[in-house]
Amino acid sequence: MNAFDRAFRAMRSDLEVHLLSIFSVGVAFVCLVTAMLVVVNVQHVQNRWQHIGKLSVYLNANTAPERINDLDAALRATPGVSGVRFVPSEEARRELMSDHGDDTLAALPEQAFPASLEVDTQESLTFEAREQMAKQLQILPGVESVETYANWSSKLATVFSGGVTAAAVLALIVLGAVVSVVSSTIRMALQKRHVEVEVLKLVGATDSYVRGPFIVEGAAQGALGAVVALSLVGALYSFVRGTFEAHLTALLGVNISFLPWTLSAGLLVGGAALGAGAAYLSLRRLLVV
Amino acid sequence: MVLGLSDSAFRPSALRRGQRFDPTAADRPVLVFDGVFKAYRPDCPVLRGFSLTIQRGEFMFVTGPSGAGKSTLLRLLYAAEQVDAGRILFLGREVGRLTQDSVPFLRRNIGIVFQDFKLIENFTVLENVGLPLQVLGLPERVVNLRVGEVLERVGLGGRGHERASVLSGGEKQRVAIARAIVSEPALLLADEPTGNLDPQLAVDILGLFEDIHSTGVTVMFATHDRSLLDIRPRRVVVLDEGRAFDVPQGLEGAALGAA
Repeated sequence: MNAFDRAFRAMRSDLEVHLLSIFSVGVAFVCLVTAMLVVVNVQHVQNRWQHIGKLSVYLNANTAPERINDLDAALRATPGVSGVRFVPSEEARRELMSDHGDDTLAALPEQAFPASLEVDTQESLTFEAREQMAKQLQILPGVESVETYANWSSKLATVFSGGVTAAAVLALIVLGAVVSVVSSTIRMALQKRHVEVEVLKLVGATDSYVRGPFIVEGAAQGALGAVVALSLVGALYSFVRGTFEAHLTALLGVNISFLPWTLSAGLLVGGAALGAGAAYLSLRRLLVV
Repeated sequence: MVLGLSDSAFRPSALRRGQRFDPTAADRPVLVFDGVFKAYRPDCPVLRGFSLTIQRGEFMFVTGPSGAGKSTLLRLLYAAEQVDAGRILFLGREVGRLTQDSVPFLRRNIGIVFQDFKLIENFTVLENVGLPLQVLGLPERVVNLRVGEVLERVGLGGRGHERASVLSGGEKQRVAIARAIVSEPALLLADEPTGNLDPQLAVDILGLFEDIHSTGVTVMFATHDRSLLDIRPRRVVVLDEGRAFDVPQGLEGAALGAA
């Protein structure tokens, strides 16, 4: 019997304790997986906004139509611009009202909905080039302001870095929880199997031979805990996506997605390593026969 | 060495790299206690300058009242305890100087039988007996073959697939003996192996030890049961106040001699 056989046998004979341990580790991992899922999707939204390739050139209220035509022509001739659309003040009001269905918007003055030139840029155009273009447009006569949506990107970057920090803190909490749960389970298992350990040592088993199945059990608990968490969050994700996908896509401008497989595999391997490490540490102090 | 285990597992210094094989090593005592001191409390030593030499192939009883230090003596031998002073030589190697990593290799050369059997209750007989061979990493087929032979030898042939928990006390002790001899150790230690058995079973178990001894195994049998010592004249070492009193012809022989 190798360490895996012995571990499997021990886990089977003490199934309830091990299942409870796996579930506890899983609950700890759920927080981390959820935070990572949020971070991954915020990053997608941020990337989308950074490459959205849109500029809104807001015009002064008294800009002459000839000036608007000149601006339109100049923009179309600019490298990196893929399309220009003029949105008069009334149309801007109509679009907003149809989106929100709020009658109070109709009462707002005309200045609240300035006419604009909506500029689509090619995706290859860098963020910096767009910013440069905005600066040049800003000084042209007839232009009131230029919206590059950079402030949205920077707000999302702040949310993203906050999410990463939250995920790192949660990772530390998960680390503590996994070490605590796995150590307790291994201590209980060691207590229950003290005769087996004693006999093994008396017949000449080395410490690594005795430790083997316990470390495999710890690794299995960590990995299965991660699987439980990924499954729970995956099920929740499927439900949310199935129910609110259209709203979320409209709101965020991107399709929400689950953790990439590399990150999921990393969680699995990390869980296993964490469980094995916790088991090893708890045995190092207790395995004295 | 049928399985060739002992040589590879616990190499005497003569077989270590860079040293020549010494043919006289086989004639040396298997075990030497040389002025061994051991105390758990400074004011109450258990062993005080205990000295004893055991030759290869001997059968020896260690006796004395409870608390005399019989179990301590055995525990020192398989390195579960450390001597305070003196030395214990097993197959020419000083036990007290073995590193922690070498202790398992020492234990692979010593079979140990306990009063409380120390069987793993949820394992089968076959798995319990096969443990010392599993530890050595022998193939399953070899383990099963060897365990089958040993179970026949202790009178439990065909009982390999029963769980240890369903066996009687006498059967459990036979399983423990089978486990102790399955890897053909150089020395068989028995720490009150009949303590939990009725008198008839105790005699049966002693007979089993004698059968094993007849195949050339050195046996050290610790007991406080005087009735077992009188069954056959054997060397008896009486532990008293931490010292050994050696009675080479057994207690009965010594009593007759004195008369």
